[in-house]
Amino acid sequence: MKRYFLEVSVALALGAVLLALAVFAPAFYQPQPLLSLAAREAPTLVVACGMALVIICRHIDISLGAQFSVCSVCAGLLAAMHWPLVFVLPASILLGAIFGAINGALVAGLGLPSIVVTLATMATWRESLRWWREGVWVDLPDGLQWFGLSQFAGQWTLILVALTLLAALALAMRHLAAGRFIYAVGSDTEAARLAGIRPQRVTFGVFVLAGAMAGLAAMMNVIQSPQVDPNSGTGLELKTIAAVVVGGVAISGGRGNLWGAFAGLLLLACVGPALTHLHVEPYWDKAIQGAVILLAVVADGLRRRQKTL
Amino acid sequence: MRHESFLLLMLIAEWLLFAAVGRNFTTLDNTFDIIRHSGEIGLLALALTAVILTGGIDLSVGSLLGLCAILFGKLWRDASLPIWLAMTCTLGAGALAGGFNAALITGLRLPPLIVTLGAFSLFRGLAEAITRGMDTFTNFPPTFLRLGQERWLGLPAQAPILILFATGIWLLVHRTTFGRSFRAIGFSPEGARYAGIPVGRRVTMVYVLAGLTAAMSAILYTARLGQAKADAGTGYELLAITAVVLGGTSIFGGTGSVHGTLLGVAALAVLNNGLVHARQPREVAGLLTGLLLLLALAGPVLLKKLAERRGRWHSPAPAIQNNETA
Amino acid sequence: MNIYLLSLTAAGLMIITGCGNNTGPGQPGGVAKKTTIAFLPKSKGNAYFISCKKGADRAARELGVELIFDGPTDPDPARQNEIVENWITLGVDAIAAACENKEGISTALRKARAKGIKVVTYDADALPDARDFFVNQATPEGIGYALMDEAARLCHNEGEFAVIIGSLTAANQIEWRKYVEERRAAQYPNMKMAAVRPCDDLKDKAQSEATTLLSAYPNLKLFLSTTSLGVPSAAEAVKQAGKAGQVKVVGLGLPSENRRYVKEGITDSVILWKTEDLGSLAVRAASAVVSGALKPGDKTFKAGSLGEFQIEGDNIILGKPFIFNKDNIDQFDF
Repeated sequence: MKRYFLEVSVALALGAVLLALAVFAPAFYQPQPLLSLAAREAPTLVVACGMALVIICRHIDISLGAQFSVCSVCAGLLAAMHWPLVFVLPASILLGAIFGAINGALVAGLGLPSIVVTLATMATWRESLRWWREGVWVDLPDGLQWFGLSQFAGQWTLILVALTLLAALALAMRHLAAGRFIYAVGSDTEAARLAGIRPQRVTFGVFVLAGAMAGLAAMMNVIQSPQVDPNSGTGLELKTIAAVVVGGVAISGGRGNLWGAFAGLLLLACVGPALTHLHVEPYWDKAIQGAVILLAVVADGLRRRQKTL
Repeated sequence: MRHESFLLLMLIAEWLLFAAVGRNFTTLDNTFDIIRHSGEIGLLALALTAVILTGGIDLSVGSLLGLCAILFGKLWRDASLPIWLAMTCTLGAGALAGGFNAALITGLRLPPLIVTLGAFSLFRGLAEAITRGMDTFTNFPPTFLRLGQERWLGLPAQAPILILFATGIWLLVHRTTFGRSFRAIGFSPEGARYAGIPVGRRVTMVYVLAGLTAAMSAILYTARLGQAKADAGTGYELLAITAVVLGGTSIFGGTGSVHGTLLGVAALAVLNNGLVHARQPREVAGLLTGLLLLLALAGPVLLKKLAERRGRWHSPAPAIQNNETA
Repeated sequence: MNIYLLSLTAAGLMIITGCGNNTGPGQPGGVAKKTTIAFLPKSKGNAYFISCKKGADRAARELGVELIFDGPTDPDPARQNEIVENWITLGVDAIAAACENKEGISTALRKARAKGIKVVTYDADALPDARDFFVNQATPEGIGYALMDEAARLCHNEGEFAVIIGSLTAANQIEWRKYVEERRAAQYPNMKMAAVRPCDDLKDKAQSEATTLLSAYPNLKLFLSTTSLGVPSAAEAVKQAGKAGQVKVVGLGLPSENRRYVKEGITDSVILWKTEDLGSLAVRAASAVVSGALKPGDKTFKAGSLGEFQIEGDNIILGKPFIFNKDNIDQFDF
């Protein structure tokens, strides 16, 4: 229990928020809006999983939002050209993986710091997209929304895909060797190398995986409405980094798990709707989000301080 | 070849390119424009150099700029303070905010990235909350506006401020023991502690300096624009960090230089300005900035790898290193 | 020592080349060049301004002037000023600007005028002393009132409605909202503005906000959006919540983005104006001011193939806001 202090405290905080809502704004708990909210956040969860893996590996990827935007637009354009869905989805994932590979090659291959590399690639992808699309939306063909299923089925599909991916990755991180390698490289690269792991391969793989998740998430987002906004990934990287760190993944690598990241995401995702339901003025949004992030990190800091005293 | 020399050559190449392609690029007016437009980001980049040298980072400076700008406006307009007093209080507020970051980072040993990420949201949020997003502050007295818009002795008013500040930071980083301690802390915080450096105090110093600089930039920004809004300074932190890293300072801390940062700021400013004169759209500036950053980072590493390959005897494969000493 | 030598050379180079003279607007000594008009949107990557640009391009072609189109790509308020100042140094003949920050941009525009560059504003005005003319598509009052009137009509003059705005700090949205509230208080006291939420200019966020608003305010009857992103997003949210028909949607928006919802009956009407004409008129006005065809004190302006427009004071009026609905939305492709 003590080992998972931060994750547990985030879960408790989430519980507190939900409780407050139940008391002061029970309207929050209606099935259809909650389902819509969950379906809307499912792509973010997928990206957060990718981000968590990158951070556990002691790197960071601030280009995921830009990758998401580009993949969304490309997927939308392919669909608009009447490619069948069964080709569009892998195409989007592949494109994300390619972006991830570029990041990975620069970070793992050349040993460049990931924050700067991804800052540069973010600027490059984002500005190229803007230059190309000029902000014009992509109109999608009619059959694409919700994968052609009913809205209810589509939303549940998205939620289940996200949750299954989360569970699969969480289990893989714990039980598969590859997962353990990520923790190893994240905690101490040199020791990992001496133990026979190839840090460069692990790092490269993690970036490719994160990119592929961004591609998948882009597709999951695209099928939720009949138009694609090229700005859709804006702010996604900061949102997921905050969610992941609040959920207990240490920015210095090697610590944390995906369930914590999930709890962190839920907490931050609930803040906005909670404020609306509690009739709080919208100009408090950012301040409260910032405060939540700081509180979570401070709580962790205090706990660690207690331990050493 | 040293990183700074490489960057200087790139800057000269940029200048010559735009001089050839752009119209009216090589005029005095334009040079002053470049100086004026890079004022705030230049100040922020200089202060962030010190922060990054210690191995930290400060993502909140842009948001703090916005917060200080509206605090300044509010103090002047709503509290009716005289301008110089409002300016002083704003500087104090900036330093306080920097101290807040520093307290969390040194006191609780929290990672700077995430503390300043939270502060990034918090400061911007406070700015929006105070103004309800809608309020803006204008109609500043003309003597104040001269600071951002007019010329003193033929130079734009920002120039002496920039020069003074740059000199001060350069001296701090390169000629004092404080500066040396920054590098030491960046290189190895534990080692620095054992060497007797008061790590906590020094780290607090750099973050407070960053906060103070954000406040100073806010005042300059307001003078230049003639208006203070809650979203002032959006995105400035990433631009400043780009300039610092472009200038050769390692993001992990320990190595770097102030003159490198100045070159980085100049390179970016010339790029942005030159592209307008070359009739290229803004997006190209962002795109090229990203590519320039990659080039500046990857270039030296690739060259080194090539040299290694060509060398008669190969040095053992380096473990994934944190710093490249220039 | 190497780097110091290099730095000195560099500085010397820059100083020598930097002492060149400006070829400003209207300066003699050179082949008569085409009039250059610089067109500034509020931000790039905005479909609304892309359609204004189409009109601007067409006008530029017809008039034989050179058009420069550039704008900020990030939301920082100072960016527009920087672009204008760069254009001053570049030596354009006229600037047509959509102003994000009234007072802030006026600082730069006044400088432009002082250098002999003609300034025309469109879509959102600067301070009157910073420009020659304002091409007004509709007064903010007209827009706010039209929005509120439509909203009231759809709600039969009573009920709660929620407003979705682009961002908290966008000046024109603040103004429109002010007039919507003014109209509501004056004419429709039985209608209540239940909530206002920004969407940070993101379509997906607008949809999420609308969904949340629907559940937070069960008695909500209408969404009013002052940002063109908000209308289709709110409509989609209403559709997905299964409340099509119960909750109405109205707002400012482009016909192309809203066509499907108008056809499906979720959105009743969308208000805008002919954006291409706006862009075209702005360029024509700028060109006319440069050539002297349009002078202060003129009462009408003949804008070539666009027709003739009334001038009130220094506002060139494009016309009233246009209401796009099921009957006419197909005629427009922007």
